[in-house]
This record gives sequence, structure tokens and C-alpha cells, in this order.
Amino acid sequence: MKKSCIAMLLAGGQGSRLYALTQNVAKPSVPFGGKYRIIDFPLSNCANSGIDTVGVLTQYKPLQLNSYIGTGQPWDLDVSDGGVYILPPYLGAHEQGSWFTGTANAIYQNLAFIENYDPENVLILSGDHIYKMDYAKMLREHLEKDAACTIAVLQVSLEEATRFGIMNVGEDGYVSEFEEKPKHPKSDLASMGIYIFNWQKLRKYLIEDEADPNSSKDFGKNIIPNMLRNGEKLWPYRFDGYWRDVGTITSLWDANMDMLSTTLINLYDPEWPISSRSPVCPPHYTGEKAEIIHSIVTEGCEIEGHVENSVLSPSVRVGEGAKVLYSVLMPGAVVEPGAVVEYAIVGENTVIKAGAHVGAEPDGTDAWGVATCGPDITIREGAVVPAAAMIYTGEEV
Amino acid sequence: MRDYHGIVFAYHDEPALRDLTANRTAASLPFCSRYRLIDFALSSLRNAGVLDVGVIMQRDYQSLLDHIGSSKAWDMSRKSGGLRMLPPFGLPQYHTGNYNGTIEALNAVSAYIRHIPQKHVILLLGNMAANIDLDAVIRQHEKAGTDATAICAGQDLASSHSRYLLGEDGLVKYIDLFRTGGKGVASLEGYIFNKDKLLELMDVCRTRNLYRFHQDAMTYFLYEAGGKMDVYLHPGYARIIRSVDEYYQASRDVLDPVKRRELFPADRPVRTKIHEDVSTYYGEHAKSHNSLVGDNCIIEGEVEDCVIFSGCHIGAGAKLKGCIVMRNCTVEEDARLEYVIADKQACFSRGATLIGSPNLPTVVPKDAKI
Repeated sequence: MKKSCIAMLLAGGQGSRLYALTQNVAKPSVPFGGKYRIIDFPLSNCANSGIDTVGVLTQYKPLQLNSYIGTGQPWDLDVSDGGVYILPPYLGAHEQGSWFTGTANAIYQNLAFIENYDPENVLILSGDHIYKMDYAKMLREHLEKDAACTIAVLQVSLEEATRFGIMNVGEDGYVSEFEEKPKHPKSDLASMGIYIFNWQKLRKYLIEDEADPNSSKDFGKNIIPNMLRNGEKLWPYRFDGYWRDVGTITSLWDANMDMLSTTLINLYDPEWPISSRSPVCPPHYTGEKAEIIHSIVTEGCEIEGHVENSVLSPSVRVGEGAKVLYSVLMPGAVVEPGAVVEYAIVGENTVIKAGAHVGAEPDGTDAWGVATCGPDITIREGAVVPAAAMIYTGEEV
Repeated sequence: MRDYHGIVFAYHDEPALRDLTANRTAASLPFCSRYRLIDFALSSLRNAGVLDVGVIMQRDYQSLLDHIGSSKAWDMSRKSGGLRMLPPFGLPQYHTGNYNGTIEALNAVSAYIRHIPQKHVILLLGNMAANIDLDAVIRQHEKAGTDATAICAGQDLASSHSRYLLGEDGLVKYIDLFRTGGKGVASLEGYIFNKDKLLELMDVCRTRNLYRFHQDAMTYFLYEAGGKMDVYLHPGYARIIRSVDEYYQASRDVLDPVKRRELFPADRPVRTKIHEDVSTYYGEHAKSHNSLVGDNCIIEGEVEDCVIFSGCHIGAGAKLKGCIVMRNCTVEEDARLEYVIADKQACFSRGATLIGSPNLPTVVPKDAKI
């Protein structure tokens, strides 16, 4: 069956800069924004854009991600002539095959999957970005511009530009130069790591790149520069909506706080729903003494204490007299009576015992940071977890 | 596969529910912020591994059909078996008017019941708020080895029910119809029946032109046929919803943490149709005390002792006390509502005031604009 466009979602990243939060799960399955996991955003974008075939490339701690995606039903991706497929690395006969050695190599190892669908174009996505984007619009522009590759770009400040892959654009509007993390950026168009390739072209470059022993098998470092060198047409697709990379503790916390503002990203838009696998819990309960201010709360929560400027996931409990300020509580987290959690991320099913204090207000020093407790931890009664602390599962605090 | 088949009664069209059942059956009444009453019966069956289920319906079933959909939410969308919706078939008399009783409802789908491959049938009301551990009921039934087991209330019930009086052997000896309190145990109108025995009762009632379950079938079963029936006492919360008052009280009961845990125990989750809902947002000046709130709401005003369904917007300065506010209602700025049951999509304009009484809550029909 020939498809106009299928998506390949790179979800194999270890997410090492999320430390305790990705100790046992892959980054795309980290809970986000109350009801979601990070991967809900690209999957929902695919479903909303009419892309019904998605390959999810996993290799690092994929168990939770696999069970979360399941048949793809929550995103309406359980269709008979496509759907969502988990693609782990595998071995062939005579021990051929290996772990994915780079983003391009991950796609190369799944050539057979893509050819099953014989698509005209392939959309390459990352599993660690928070945004709403109509890929169908991007695909239309890609076809109109007859591009070999269309790269979604975002305008950033010149200071920020040093952290991104930067596209320099020629007079005709096509990409003329690509610089990875330039010291002196010539342009402010940053690559979002979202590409649409003409499949036949991409296929050729993947095979060539694979044969190059010096290549690091990466889209940004190898494939895109090679295409530019050969004079292929690369078109920058300008995106001006909300987009955040959530690869670090600070950026993950920041993006969660953004969910409190509908002007930044509107999750209430029925035209572009972000879907997730719902645990189906009873509605949340707010007790006699509960105070909830400028926060989001969802199913299964039981709130008896004070919650302010925070993002609560399903089945979170906040006891009487407890305070939760500027924090992200992941599913099943418990804050017992009298405990304080501020400027913190608390992992799944972690219990903050009575009177404990996690995190601290910003004090203006460089040493300050968001305190993080990984999943399944018990912070004992009266314990203090300072700002910027990182508590791993299995640690005793 | 268990040798049990579920039958859920969802045809009831209770006049005392007034406007709440103008366009729906009692079984599809929205309940507790995100559920419909029938979710309890279907989830109880699902949690006991009973996935072959017939849902008896007669009229005003659009909302029920929409809610149950493919029945995937209860894992009852199966290759063989699964959930079947049962509108009346067979005799034309069943298509007009209301069913006169449960036995008539069963006879209207008797062909279905005859073809049930399982040996036992579990009968449950669709309009009851109770999370019944059917696994325990089945175990007790098998141990007793009787033709039937009646599921009865283990807690006191305020409203009127048929009551069973037990003999020394612990089995049912007499039935008292429509009593409030008194001797014996109150029937929750849930039963496990040997299928052949049930068919016999249905046949006897049809030939005698009788159609009520307790008044006709059970009196025959106990007094004439010498049927043996055990009683299972459901230890948790249970309310049959037949009137606005019962609906309101049950809705308020869920605010009690003990009753809520009995209705929603962690090991027997209540499943329901999944809506695409985001989290609920509380604004800078929001207050929410002793209330249950569904997802996808924006709360900017104050709510107390309320059950707020998904998708509601409570504007700044609005004050709600003791209200049940169903899906997608809007309460604009500074409106004041006390003891109101607002049906879906109702809208209360800026500054509107509507005060009911806890004993006689005001029902605002679906789509109304105040």
C-alpha cells in the first residue's frame, strides 16, 4: 500500500540529562503536563495531521513506552492499513544488526519497515519535544517547493542560536548553509529536529552514509550537510508556535510551568487535541481545607492541602497542611500532611513523608536549581532535600 | 471463561427522575463527574471476568448507545461473545408503552436468553450506584449450591426495597414487598440465577400474564416452586436511583471519603467511556472545598459541597454550594447557585441566582439558559 507520508519517531534516546527521571524509563515516556507523557505530543500531532502510520524507534528501557503505546488506540492510530509500530533494534541471520548507532542509522536499520509502505515522503520526529504542529501543512509546503528535504525551523534569539543547528537561507529562500551550534551564528533560524524527506532521496543518502566509516550516522551532522553539499533542495519550514525541548531538568520544569498558561500553549483546543492513555480514575476531590491556586489538577487526585502554581498528574495526594509550590508532581506522588514541596519535580509514586521539605525558593545563586526526586522513592519524615538535589530511585533520604 | 452471563436492566424510565430522564434512561444518568450509572454494573461484571453481557433497553436509549459505543471501555468488545444491546424483539406488544416489569423485559428478549451458552445468569440493575464484588458473589453462590443467590444490602438503606426474610438454614424463606426498613435484608435487585430456572420463571409468568420480578416471579419461585435462594450481603455502599432525591443524595454521598472508597476501591476500578479531556485549571481566586471536580474544567469562582462534571466553566466571583453540575455547563461571573442540579450544557448568565433546597434540589434541564 502506497502512502504519501509516514512518520518515524526517534524515541531511543536515553535522556541522560533527566538523570533520576529516566533511570528506568525512556525519555519519551516521562510524564508531562499533568495527563500526558512526552510522546503524546508527536503522536497526537501525527494523528491530527492525518498521518496514520508511525514507526517508534526504541532501544533504551522501552518496557514502559511499549505498554504505554500499546495498539495506539488512544491516538486513533489503531488502523488496519497502518498504525503505530514499536521498532526496537534487532539481529538478523549471522549476527547482522546492532544497536542504533545514530539517528540516521536508526532509520537505516528500518529500511524494510519503511519500504513496506512505499511512502513518497518520510517525516522524522523526535520524542522529546512539546509542541502542537500540523505536519500536513509542512508536507504541502515540502511538495510545493519540490524539496528533497524540508526542515522545520524556529526563529530564536542570536544568543540562543549558539545552542542549535542553524540554517542560513539564500536569496531563493532555500537553505544555503547548515551550522551545528555555531559560535557566531549568521542566522536565527534554528532546526527543530523535524524533517520531511523525499523517501527515495533519503534512502540513497542513508545507504551512502552507512558505508562511510567516518560518519557519526546523524541527521544533523551527516545527512543534511551531505545533501547540501550535493546541491539538493532543502527548504526551511517556518514554525512560530510554542515549541520546547524538554531534555533537561530545568527545561522540563519550565515547560511544565508553561502548561499553566493557555496563552503559551492551549491544550483546551478541541480542534487539536493532545491525547493520552487515560488511567480512568474517579474525579479529583478537594477537601474542606484545600487551597488550589493557579494550578492544574486531574483525575484521581485528593487534595487537602495548599497547591499553588503547580502541575499535578493523576492520583496525586496532597495531605492537610502540606504545601506544594511551583512544582511538578508525577502520577501517584504523595505529599503527606505538613510536608513542603517547592520548585521541585517529584517522580511517579514517590512519597514525601510528613514534615519533609523538598526544594527551595530561588536564591539568585548559580548553585540553585529545581530539586528532583525520581520515581518510587520515600523521603522520610522531616528530611530536607535541598535545591538542585537529584534523588535516585533506591537512595535513602 | 466463566460460566456466567450478565444481564443489565437499562430500560427503566423512572417518572420520579423528572427532567433528568426526559431524554435518557435512568441507567445512562451522568453520575460523579465522569460516569454514567450503568458503568457500575458493567465494571462489576468486567472486574469479575464476566465479559458476555446483554443490556436490556427499550426506549430513549440514544445516550446509552453513545455511551457504551463498542463497549471497549469494559473490554466487552470481543470476537465471540462480548456485550450486546438488546432492544425489544419478537412480539409487537413489547415495542409500545413501557415494560410492566422486569419479567416482561426479560420475555421481550427471551430468544437471546435461551441462546446464552453459559449455565448461570447474573442480573443487575443499570441504575444502581454500587461496586459489587461479583467474584465474591459467585464464590458464595457456588458454595451454597442453590438455584439462585440474591444480592442484598449489607448497609441500612433509607428508601423502599423488597426485603428477604431468612430461615434457619440462611436461605430465603419469605419476601416482603416494598418496605422501608423492618425485618430481613433489602434486595439490591441483583441476582445470580441458574439459567434454566430463570427461563422457567419467565415461562410461568408469561402463561399467567404476570410480569413483575419480585411480586410475581419471586413469590412463585419461593412459595410454589420451592426454589432455594441464598443471600449475599454487599458490604459497601449501594443506592438504587429512582428519583431526583435519590440521585441528589447519592451524588452528595460520594463526597464522603468512606463511601467514595467503597464505590471506587483501588482493586475494582470503575471503567467508563473515555473522553478527550485535559486537566482542570484553577485560577488565582478559585476556591474548591469538599467537592469532586472532573477534568477539562476551568474553575475561577468558588465551589463548596459540589459535584462538578467535566468541561464546566465556573466564572470568577460565581459561588456554588451543594450543586450537581453536569458536563459542559457554564456558570458565568458572579452567578450564585445553591442546591441546583444542572443538566448538561446548561448556562447560567452573569449574576444569575438560583436557590433550591437540600431536600428539594432545583433541576435545570439540559441546554437551558438561565
